[in-house]
Amino acid sequence: MITTLTIFLPLAGAILMLLLPRVTDERTVRYWALGAAAVPFLLVVYVYFAHRGSLDARSLTQSFDWIPSLGIGYRVGLDGLGFGMFFLTALLTLIAVVASWDIRENLRQYFAILFIAEVGMLGVFAAQDLVLFYVFFEITLIPMYLMVGVWGDENRRPAAVKFFIYTFLGSTVMLAGFLALGILSGPNFSIAALDGGGNLSRAAQIGIAAPILFGLLVKVPAVPLHSWLLDVYVSSPTSTNVVLSGILPKLGTYGLIKIAVPLLPQGVEPFLPLVAALGAVNILYGSFVAFVQPDLKALVAYSSIGTLGFILLGISSGNAVGLNGAVMQQVTHGLYSALLFILVGIIAARAGTRRISELGGLAARMPWAGGLLVLGALAAMGVPGLAVFVSEFMSIMGGYTAFPVQGVLAAVGILTGAMYLLYMLRRTVFGPIPHDRPELAKATDAGPIEMAAIVPLALLLVVLGVFPGLLIGVQQPAVETVLAAIGGS
Amino acid sequence: MVTAQTFVGLLPEILAFLFSMSVLMIGVFSPRSTGLVAGLAAFGALATFVTTVVLLLTRFEGEFFGGAYVVDDFALYFKLIVAVSAFFAVLAAARWSGRTGDAPEYLTLILSVAVGAMLLVSMRDLFGVFVAIELATIPSYALVAFDRSRRESSEGGMKYLLTGVLASSVLLYGIVLIYGAAGSADLAEIAGSFTGRLTPVALLGLVLLISGFAFKLSAVPFHFWTPDAYQGAPTSAAAFLSVAPKAATFAILLRILLEGMPAAAPTWTAVMAFLAILTMFVGNLFALRQRNVRRMLAYSSVAHSGYILAAFAALQGAGVERAVQAVLIYMAAYLVMNLGAFFVIDLVGEEAKTYNGLFKTRPGVALCMVVFMAALVGIPPFSGFFGKLWVIIAGVEAGSAVTYVVVGTVVLNSVLSVPYYFGIIRNMFFEEPATDAAEPKGVGAVKFSVYTLAIATTVFILFVGPLAALARISGLG
Repeated sequence: MITTLTIFLPLAGAILMLLLPRVTDERTVRYWALGAAAVPFLLVVYVYFAHRGSLDARSLTQSFDWIPSLGIGYRVGLDGLGFGMFFLTALLTLIAVVASWDIRENLRQYFAILFIAEVGMLGVFAAQDLVLFYVFFEITLIPMYLMVGVWGDENRRPAAVKFFIYTFLGSTVMLAGFLALGILSGPNFSIAALDGGGNLSRAAQIGIAAPILFGLLVKVPAVPLHSWLLDVYVSSPTSTNVVLSGILPKLGTYGLIKIAVPLLPQGVEPFLPLVAALGAVNILYGSFVAFVQPDLKALVAYSSIGTLGFILLGISSGNAVGLNGAVMQQVTHGLYSALLFILVGIIAARAGTRRISELGGLAARMPWAGGLLVLGALAAMGVPGLAVFVSEFMSIMGGYTAFPVQGVLAAVGILTGAMYLLYMLRRTVFGPIPHDRPELAKATDAGPIEMAAIVPLALLLVVLGVFPGLLIGVQQPAVETVLAAIGGS
Repeated sequence: MVTAQTFVGLLPEILAFLFSMSVLMIGVFSPRSTGLVAGLAAFGALATFVTTVVLLLTRFEGEFFGGAYVVDDFALYFKLIVAVSAFFAVLAAARWSGRTGDAPEYLTLILSVAVGAMLLVSMRDLFGVFVAIELATIPSYALVAFDRSRRESSEGGMKYLLTGVLASSVLLYGIVLIYGAAGSADLAEIAGSFTGRLTPVALLGLVLLISGFAFKLSAVPFHFWTPDAYQGAPTSAAAFLSVAPKAATFAILLRILLEGMPAAAPTWTAVMAFLAILTMFVGNLFALRQRNVRRMLAYSSVAHSGYILAAFAALQGAGVERAVQAVLIYMAAYLVMNLGAFFVIDLVGEEAKTYNGLFKTRPGVALCMVVFMAALVGIPPFSGFFGKLWVIIAGVEAGSAVTYVVVGTVVLNSVLSVPYYFGIIRNMFFEEPATDAAEPKGVGAVKFSVYTLAIATTVFILFVGPLAALARISGLG
């Protein structure tokens, strides 16, 4: 019941936003939105402290028939695989509300659309039924399309259309796979009941796994399927970036961990080397392309795409270390990329440019923003002591055990990642302030609202870096279930 | 023998007919009382709806006129669809027809089409089928040509009439050949005589019959009248004609094929698969090129006929029961989303550029249109998704190579349809508003319909369980 409540509370928030009188001043709207985003977040925090050892508690799960003749049910519940992202979704939506300072027009509608997207995202991480999963998956689609298309910068329209067509194609193909899976095994769409692939033959599993993997990898995006992404990231407003980079890719990776691998173990197996290779390619491609980006936001975007590769590598490993790493990397990746995107927004607003060559000396005028940019970049590099280190290391260890070549390539990727990030820091945070940029010489540090958006993310990166057990402890039992499904087949 | 039961079974049609006649009579004696006739017509549609619901709830069943007319759950389900769409069409038409001063005639025509469509779904005799189809079609010619202030209306009406008459004669020819081959026009007796391979005469009859129906359903290659007729017709008429008579025609085709020619299923499912694939592709590809929203929705309705025909292709093997349900559920989903999309034209306009910036000037209408467009694409949680869900599932369950191809085509076409539906959303949200974006006056009833239908399209997801149960008991055979 609590889970259902958490999922649908943002819908009430969205309705509230639309019902606020047209004349409501901006400040009031922001306060209401903050409140509406805080409630689900507090509920998730409560769930963590009250139920972290027993996520399968009755108060958290709900299951009733929805379309009995097809074996489709409204089944929601939390488990270790989804809880981290469930938490992160509520957190990042709250932060997206805080970080919405560059949204000026149609603020109420913006928040309403953001909250509808939140319903979909929360729902995906709690759904225990294939059709329900798909429904939530698609609920995010139109809101994201509108957020990019209405509130983005001048290149937003083609970017939004491209985003929509690609991801809709991917998810529709995925749906075909889901339906084949559910019908051939019953009909039954309960994820729990389908665990382990049931009595499907290996050939049938492969035939079903192929479209599902395709759809999910488009959503991630894995590198050859990524061409829709860059324009979308670069032309979105900061607040949209938080959700777009922090959560949306994880709908794809979570689908791999939650559905593709445990439900179709034999069908996915032949594709695993490929998934691992795609992971390594993501990492290397991301860092090489990031290296040559003149635009700070594009650099962060490629960095974000690149480190998604660790999740793919960890998933493909099929062992406890790798899967734990992948599940955790979903969360840590969201934390650090949201942090970096917000910082880019803060810096660009002051400098009037995002070109790296025109920036410099941020540490002198903006010690906090500059310092946190360093922290975010260090996190992205996987420096020990920060959360990303733990998850990346585990993913590589797991991946190396299963696929040595891909594992080594991924490890090389950490080095190349460090190169472009340090190079970026040297040119932006350190060094002299460029003379032709008077804005930079007068720039003030991040204000209290801006700090409120970034400090929690930075803190969580540090805390989870020192105490990774806070998260791994929660996800461990669920990872073992996945391992049992793979091994038991 | 005509008994009291007969009257009860025919009560929805009798009511609709009585109300349509009263509307006409009031128009003769008091031509100025637009509000009264509109209210009366809406009430008539509502009464028909309620009667049908009561018949359905009491599980009323019966065969009348020597078995030529049957009232069962299947028929009642489609009568409901016809009654609901008639109700909304009357609401949406009230203002427009009141302004032209022809409200009584216009509303009478809508109710007459409804009577014909409701009779049609109960027919179990091929000649009865033909009579009922004509009963529904003849008033619809007049509806299309009703708007005398626009040339397109007369043009569309003329094209519709000429092709429609041709289609009727093809259909009648098919019926006669089947009658000749089977020695009876009764579906059960036809089924009894067509047990083995079809004779050439029967096959020709079947092909002509399906061709005649394909005309009425605007299936490719018999769809050419559709864009002109829908563009010319008054909006409420186009909306109504794209749902009610179409639903009834699909229903009776289902009944004829399943009850009359089960043995020939391999033949006609193949024909249906061919028609479905062609119809989906042509409808969507032509819709992509339209800049006029009315024409776009006309081609979209062609494409949606294709999706429903895809369910017909799955009427084989293990897929029969599910495929019948798919048609039932698809029609309910299509009813709410398609009526709504057409009515928005009445509120905004038919040129794509009139939608520019609608989100800034009239956010409520813009949001409704997003709902309809997303539903027509088949994006959850909106109604259209569930229609396609059932069609795909039926195809997978039927499990032949052909149905897998058809299912693949459905998936592909859903993606193909995104650009034109979302072109409208793009205009509404991403473009700057045109200067004269003021809301037309006196559109209360239309606006009420649009909002109601948008809500229905959205909350469809909550009622899909009961609807599926209803579709299950309403299946044929």
